[in-house]
Amino acid sequence: MNKKLIALIAAAPFAWACGSSMPEPKQPLSDAEAALRSAREVGADTQPAARLQAKLADEAIVEAKKLIKDGDYERATYVVLRARADAELAVALAKERNALSAKGEAVEKSAETLGTNAQGVTR
Amino acid sequence: MNRATILGVLSVLLASGCASTITPPELASARTAYQRAAAGPAGSLNPTDLHVAKESLDTAEASFTEDGNTQVTRDLGYTAMRRSETAESRARTMQAMMDSKQVVDQMHESTATQLAQTKGALSATGQALQTETERRQAAEKRAAQAAADLAKFASVKQEARGMVITLSGGVLFTSAESTLMPAAQLKLNDVAKALTEQDPESTMVVEGHTDSQGTAASNKTLSEARARAVRDYLVSRGIAADRITSQGFGPDRSVGDNKTAEGRANNRRVEIVVKPKG
Repeated sequence: MNKKLIALIAAAPFAWACGSSMPEPKQPLSDAEAALRSAREVGADTQPAARLQAKLADEAIVEAKKLIKDGDYERATYVVLRARADAELAVALAKERNALSAKGEAVEKSAETLGTNAQGVTR
Repeated sequence: MNRATILGVLSVLLASGCASTITPPELASARTAYQRAAAGPAGSLNPTDLHVAKESLDTAEASFTEDGNTQVTRDLGYTAMRRSETAESRARTMQAMMDSKQVVDQMHESTATQLAQTKGALSATGQALQTETERRQAAEKRAAQAAADLAKFASVKQEARGMVITLSGGVLFTSAESTLMPAAQLKLNDVAKALTEQDPESTMVVEGHTDSQGTAASNKTLSEARARAVRDYLVSRGIAADRITSQGFGPDRSVGDNKTAEGRANNRRVEIVVKPKG
């Protein structure tokens, strides 16, 4: 095997990367940012698990913007994909926590009401 | 390039090839997350998100099959893992919301039941009140009718101690006797009939009174005997024995002047006091 062959083999992966022609992921980035805003609106920053996902989404968005600025749209596209997945999970976790809190309140209120009703029955 | 260098480059390339076949941790985690989600409540409660997660996992798997352990495969694996976790979380949210609804529904049902029971109790109380009112009205009506009937042959007065029916001693007993005359029994039959129309919960006292002629002791004894005779006769005519008692007062409760014949006649009497319940 001569030097040229070796150089060609070594350069192949980079040629694949540079050869991509993906568009700038403007809309996916916008969607990811919207999902992150939603997460914060439903209280993700006040709940540990949701806050972590929101932080990951935030960091990924920052990274994606840097990649876009550098012209690496393909890499940015996948980072944005991760950002949106993190943000949507943050939304889901925040809503889950809210639903569990509401359930706890309902159970508590129900116990009080049922207790009052039981007193009414035995009175 | 010597032989050793070429072998070295080939070794690096081979090693690189092996590394690309190792499942990336993101994809492994995505597989685990999906299996967990599919086996959990998301399977039944959130099939839509679970389907999205499956498609995402399939894309990551395809990337791994075609390109191996690349950054893209890892990104797709990571995304698939998050989507499975999202599907799980949303399913738990749905479950919590359903639980809340069930709790609230049970609470409302309990409150409605309690309300219905309260209404029922109120209705029963109202019905009982109405029944009692009607009973009292009927009793009062019967009492008024009885009093009107009695007024035909006896003096009937309403006093603080109750309704007082006064029968002249002259029509009931011969002088100094405590045995009822036959005519008296006819009168007392009417009295008994009238008294049975009284409120069944009322009680009665038969009081015997005399004039002041004779000794106080003999008059007391005579009044007691006469009162008892009237009481016993009324019991024999259907008045419940536990509702009626007798008592003699002798001349102690005169209503007329014992110095005149008319006054003494008025004093010789039997009074039946009808006391309403309570």
